[in-house]
Amino acid sequence: MFWRLLWKLLRGSSGRLVVAILALVSGAMVISALLNLEFDIERKLTQEFRMLGANLVISPGHDAQINGAAPAALMNESEAFAAIQSLKDPAVVAAAPFLYIVERAGDTPVVVAGTKLEELPELEPAWRIEGQWTPSHENQIPCIVGRNVVRQLHLALGSTLLLSYLGKTTQATLVGIVDAGGAEDNQVFMGLAEVQRLAGLPGQIGLAQLSVRGTAKNISEFAARLAAALPSYEVRPIRQVTEAEGDLLNRIRLLIGSMVVLILALTALCVLATMAALAMERRQDVGLMKALGGSIARIVTLFMAEVGVLGAAGGFVGAILGIELSRWMGQRVFGTAISLRWEIFPLTIALMVAVALAGALPLRLLGKVKPAVIFRGE
Amino acid sequence: MATLVQVENLRKEFGNVCALAGVSFRVEAGEWIAIMGPSGSGKTTLINILGGLDMPTSGQAIVDAIDVGRLDESGLTRFRAQKIGFIFQQFHLVPYLTALENVMLAQYFHSSTDEKEAREALERVGLGDRVEHLPGKLSGGEQQRVAVARALINHPKLILADEPTGNLDEANEETVIQLFHELHREGHTILMVTHAPSIGRLADRRIAFAHGRLVEVPASLKTSL
Repeated sequence: MFWRLLWKLLRGSSGRLVVAILALVSGAMVISALLNLEFDIERKLTQEFRMLGANLVISPGHDAQINGAAPAALMNESEAFAAIQSLKDPAVVAAAPFLYIVERAGDTPVVVAGTKLEELPELEPAWRIEGQWTPSHENQIPCIVGRNVVRQLHLALGSTLLLSYLGKTTQATLVGIVDAGGAEDNQVFMGLAEVQRLAGLPGQIGLAQLSVRGTAKNISEFAARLAAALPSYEVRPIRQVTEAEGDLLNRIRLLIGSMVVLILALTALCVLATMAALAMERRQDVGLMKALGGSIARIVTLFMAEVGVLGAAGGFVGAILGIELSRWMGQRVFGTAISLRWEIFPLTIALMVAVALAGALPLRLLGKVKPAVIFRGE
Repeated sequence: MATLVQVENLRKEFGNVCALAGVSFRVEAGEWIAIMGPSGSGKTTLINILGGLDMPTSGQAIVDAIDVGRLDESGLTRFRAQKIGFIFQQFHLVPYLTALENVMLAQYFHSSTDEKEAREALERVGLGDRVEHLPGKLSGGEQQRVAVARALINHPKLILADEPTGNLDEANEETVIQLFHELHREGHTILMVTHAPSIGRLADRRIAFAHGRLVEVPASLKTSL
């Protein structure tokens, strides 16, 4: 009889309840979209920040300078990279060594960075490249040249760049022109081994840059583990990037959290207004039910079950619509779809049931109706 | 016959208005009592107190050895479910429940539902072919018969009927009165509020009210004060 009554209550008041269910569906839709966004925001934001480039640097320790004089202290390439590999952390997206020297292109001094060119696309995904990252012919020495250097030296893709350093020369083929929007536009990037040969520093690097996936906390933890594996070097996160990421994440979460609370409150108010009208309509029914021997608990349970069903239905439909909304928002904000998080469904439904029950206060108060007062028409 | 209802110096006040001013009488089990009097004389107030819908200001209203005025909320709920069958002038059927479901509603609040028994109750009042009809699709007389079936479904000790024919035409009034005759013959105790002397004369006894007091009550009906 309980379910029969519940069904009849829902059918009997369907006109009024449409308003409540519309409020619940709308609220659930926005909340599930925001929650889905919130759950996925860390991954999305991390991806976005990885576009900014390296977020971890390994450099020689302060006490590691050779004879305390320039050139700046160097690191052992194999030692540094063996330590990175020993951690076997899948969060490491890219890791590249760098050895900087100032060579001459004719009479013009240029900063040349020896590195692993094949790591650059992953390490610096925001750089725009014209041409290729890596050479198509293995028998040439490739180089990638910054936009400003190309302009200054009147170079073009396929040009040969003759570089000299301390009496040694090398001839590199320009395979790519990089537009990084920073100091890199004034540099030339070549294979590390060639720069080490020119500098006479085989196996030596000036620093290593890593791109590590994860939150600011994850990156700091990885840095600490790497620092423990490389006690003679300095391992430090690039704070501007990691802190900005953490800050932004916190602000977005606060914003989303505030909006969720606000929408829950507004939905509850809308349900409350509908239920207040419904409660007025049902005073007569409740008076009768009590006259027939219905206990307050039994009558109120019936109404709360009705509201709970409304909340669950509104939450379910709203959650489905919200997932689509979050996908659309993901496309608009991040350019890629937000991943579907299945836990959003039970969470949204639970929130909507709670909101519906909170908004059903007028129905709960119906338990106080006095049958004699109702029958007197007061 | 055993006394089913005993009312002792019953008073009920609504603010400054005295609806019942020290009423005393008793009703034996199986009696059909007509409660008569003009509007505002306290008839419905008496019915409400005897049915556990309202509380007396003072005095006693004892039904089946239960002093209604001493019951708490849950006690009143149990009392109404187990002891009383109400029949109202306005029928008071739930509009979105069928005739059958309206009867089953009383079962539901009493203990558990029994659809077969509810159907039989409706058949008994001549509504076997109207069980799935909503109240809005039934005539006034049919609605009142549903209310009678609902009042009887839990086998109450006392049937309280407040102007049960007040909203009915002559033909339907006759049908409902016939039902009350049957109930009376079966031994049900009935307290019926009515304005109509013709209906009042059908009862075993009449209790007349005026300004919250009993009038023209035979001495044999009064309890010793």
